[in-house]
Amino acid sequence: MKVIRLGGHSLQLLPDRAVFWPRQKALLLADAHLGKDQVFRGAGVAVPAGVLATDLARIDALLTNTGAERLIVLGDWVHAPPQGGDDWPAQISAWRASHPHLAIDLVLGNHDRALDAWLAGWNIRAHSVALDLDGLCLVHEWTDAGGLPGLSGHLHPGAVIRHRRERVRLPAFLLGDEHLVLPAFGRFTGLMTATDFPARCRIAIAGERLHELPAGYQPLKPSTSRGKTAR
Amino acid sequence: MNRIEEWFAARDWPVFDFQRRAWAAYAEGKSGLIHAPTGSGKTLAAWGGPLLESLQDPPGALAYLWITPLRALAVDTSANLNRAVAGLGLDWEVGLRTGDTSAARRARLHKSPPPALVTTPESLALMLSYADSARRLGRVRAVVVDEWHELLGSKRGVLLELGLARLRALNPKMKIWGLSATLGNVDHALQVLLGPNRTGEQIGGDIERRIEIDTLLPPEIEHFPQSGRTGLNQLPGVLAALNRARSTLLFTNTRSQAELWFRAITAVVAWPDQVYLHHGSINRQQRLAAEEAVRTGRARCIVATSSLDLGVDFSPVDQVIQVGGPKGIARLIQRAGRSGHQPGAVSRLLCVPTHALEILEIAAARRQVERRRVESRTALSGSLDVAAQHLVSCALGGGFEPDAMRSELHDTHAYAGLDETHWQWLLDFVTRGGPTLQAYPGFRRVVLEDGRYRVSDRRIAARHRMSVGTISADGHLQVRFVKGGSLGQIEERFLTRLQPGEHFLFAGRLLRLERIRDMVAYVRLGKAQRPSVPRWAGGRLPLSTLLADAMLELFAASETQLPADLQAIAPLLARQARQSALPGPERLLVEQTQSRDGAHLFVYPFAGRLVHEGLAALLAWRLAQDSPRSFSMTVNDYGIELVCDQPVKLDEALLRRVLRAEDLERDILASLNAAEMARHRFRDIARVAGLVFQGFPGRQKRARQLQASSGLMFDMLSEHDPDNLLLDQARTEVLEAEMELTRLRATLDRIARQSLMVQQNERLTPLAFPLWADRLRSQLSTEDFQARVERMLAGMEREAPPRRPQRTTLRAGAQ
Repeated sequence: MKVIRLGGHSLQLLPDRAVFWPRQKALLLADAHLGKDQVFRGAGVAVPAGVLATDLARIDALLTNTGAERLIVLGDWVHAPPQGGDDWPAQISAWRASHPHLAIDLVLGNHDRALDAWLAGWNIRAHSVALDLDGLCLVHEWTDAGGLPGLSGHLHPGAVIRHRRERVRLPAFLLGDEHLVLPAFGRFTGLMTATDFPARCRIAIAGERLHELPAGYQPLKPSTSRGKTAR
Repeated sequence: MNRIEEWFAARDWPVFDFQRRAWAAYAEGKSGLIHAPTGSGKTLAAWGGPLLESLQDPPGALAYLWITPLRALAVDTSANLNRAVAGLGLDWEVGLRTGDTSAARRARLHKSPPPALVTTPESLALMLSYADSARRLGRVRAVVVDEWHELLGSKRGVLLELGLARLRALNPKMKIWGLSATLGNVDHALQVLLGPNRTGEQIGGDIERRIEIDTLLPPEIEHFPQSGRTGLNQLPGVLAALNRARSTLLFTNTRSQAELWFRAITAVVAWPDQVYLHHGSINRQQRLAAEEAVRTGRARCIVATSSLDLGVDFSPVDQVIQVGGPKGIARLIQRAGRSGHQPGAVSRLLCVPTHALEILEIAAARRQVERRRVESRTALSGSLDVAAQHLVSCALGGGFEPDAMRSELHDTHAYAGLDETHWQWLLDFVTRGGPTLQAYPGFRRVVLEDGRYRVSDRRIAARHRMSVGTISADGHLQVRFVKGGSLGQIEERFLTRLQPGEHFLFAGRLLRLERIRDMVAYVRLGKAQRPSVPRWAGGRLPLSTLLADAMLELFAASETQLPADLQAIAPLLARQARQSALPGPERLLVEQTQSRDGAHLFVYPFAGRLVHEGLAALLAWRLAQDSPRSFSMTVNDYGIELVCDQPVKLDEALLRRVLRAEDLERDILASLNAAEMARHRFRDIARVAGLVFQGFPGRQKRARQLQASSGLMFDMLSEHDPDNLLLDQARTEVLEAEMELTRLRATLDRIARQSLMVQQNERLTPLAFPLWADRLRSQLSTEDFQARVERMLAGMEREAPPRRPQRTTLRAGAQ
């Protein structure tokens, strides 16, 4: 765990790709992409089942370990709108039923489309653009418009660590000027190691540990990135 | 005299006996393999049979298929075949269908198929995936597989075996003929081509062309480098040779060497516009221009890599130059065959050593060429990814019945031994995603309808057709000028290490990187002094066993009497013998030296780079088991260097123990970062088996919702379906393809029979020096992932700040 200060608040960065906000007793995560494995299977790509159950169990563990009473999702809670015949929405419903006292907020991400009925069923409060809470602005996608200190997701940030001939890619938190970008929570998601976000520092996740990357460690210039486009 | 012989006679061509034998065998309905050097008349030996047959019995649509491994060859081949068709006065044409064929032309070929078609293994696989394939391809009379030796041993070869089995099932009387360069194991090549338990004719070319190999010796051998790769210090000698001949083909071992030599030659000759560059990464137009220039006699020099090892049929050149060690006999003979095509003429090859030990390597090659010894190639078997792809193709191409399909697989060399478990797994993989007991919910790809397995979803069908084939275009970026014009493609790994504004050599030009966007690297012409040169992955062939054995013989022979062609390195050999000892077939040389860097241990098994990589890791790991320590390792084709802080006390017993063949597989898996290597290896497997999509190379239409990297896929499978057989395949491929496990075991077996000679030296010996000078060392790490990251970060801190900012990769993540 690593504690950072943002907008006067103290936030705990957790190695399981989430943030705990003690003052609000809130667990924050972004880009869970639940149901993504099912979308792949439906298209004939043999991704094994079990991804969704694992991700939900990880949320359970985080809630237990932090004692959080509120879950705030910074967008892309699901990967695609549920189709008839999909069983993953029901799995989420079952999971939700086992957490009757948990408040859940979702800042809608670009993947959270056509979800209104399901969100109501899951008792998730949706916020279309941002959720302003106690001086922090929680959004899905960071923009350089300025404004309140805040947190976001969307970028699936990662870092490449190179030393001599070795090379490792790790998910990472990006800390910029009064803004924190969370790594993607879902295990079945990829990494972007080049982003437009002006990070002052990258905190990489290696297993159970967080590593602040040494000075001089800079992301690739944005001009050379194969851009991730928002939909 | 038959019609072909009349046509030959009219053009004053001699008819060779092997051609007559091939035509006769074909007329008897036999299949077979014709093996002979390039330019000896193989094409007409194979094509004559079908031509004579069609004189008797005019062919219908798609009666003959001619399979060629390279799209670039297809154009030439179809022109050649057409010339013969016209020469015999036949009134039909040979068509062409490859990945380069336009959609409109493909549609026309589909509507009115020609009697004969030149195509690639991938295009054949694609044709088999169309619903009416049985009707369209059911009357193929004969398939000719060109350059079979190139396909043998690769997954493309396996894909073709499956395609041939399908065609054979449709028409059991179909004849199959292969064309191959000289191989050490023709029996095996024939067996794989025809399928198990079939017999066929082996027809060898009659013309035994003499090959003479000369060595370009540097003027001052004392100053000749003991290590090094480019060989540009030999430029004056090469220049003299270039000026003596009307046309020269200069082969290098790597594309980066080709780029450097091209640049160097154009800078010094008086005729720079008559120098051409030809390698696998540059734009097709530029390649074709080079080939055309040879044909018309305009080219005075072509700098090429293995891209010209295939039978691009162009007129012979005056001389062939090989820069760098030959590494293998078969390839050297193939390259030599590019000169002096006239029957009876001598093929001359000038070898240019880039460092002193290569003089010995060249001498060894000369011995083996004289003895007519050539390397063997062994076919792959059991690759489940290719079989899975084929099952989906067949499900698309009219569907399949499981029992018939299974016998069809058994009718190939690759899957003759496929057992019930693996077959059932394959069927489950394409229908349920995973094994029956843990079927993947919601998965659908191939479905069972009325006893036949089919694909009913059109989008799945379209995506499958897009990814048919086994060649990976993964990780390549197109290189284009900002103002338009494509130059070719380069590995992403190299380009992403460059910053915009930096210079590099490519396609014979000095380029400045402007930006990278959408898998295209935009460049302008540059003017920097010291550009970097792309280092292509997998470009370097390891030294073949045949060549290595001859080198060891030469070392031993030089102790009694120095062969004439080794006089030039007499001082070096003498120094090696004086300071330490010479290696030999009967003994393994081990050297220990102390230096500022630590304690060096050198071992010289002469088994090739890949085997040495595995062996170095194995030795380091076994030595560290005795007393924990860490080693850094370097390998080349001749030997291994291990460096550590404290000297290892070596006695015969310890050496024998760490070099034992027992427990090899267990220890090698423990010593290497096998998990990570398998994860890397999974890239191709995932693509072939349909777990990731890359779309067409160069086209960016991807199913965005379905983007996931193979690494992520590997992690998901390892976590949730660890028994998935594709993971097993990745591990097996790491051992066989990257470690050459079989050859490594043979090396250890040989070492067990050799005497061990351990030398303590004060200074580096001539054999040790190149290893010491090669700075590409790898570290043996046995730590877990977390410890490894921590060590890397600590190392980075110590060495920080880096001269250039750290680079990151461009792989887009799954969203």
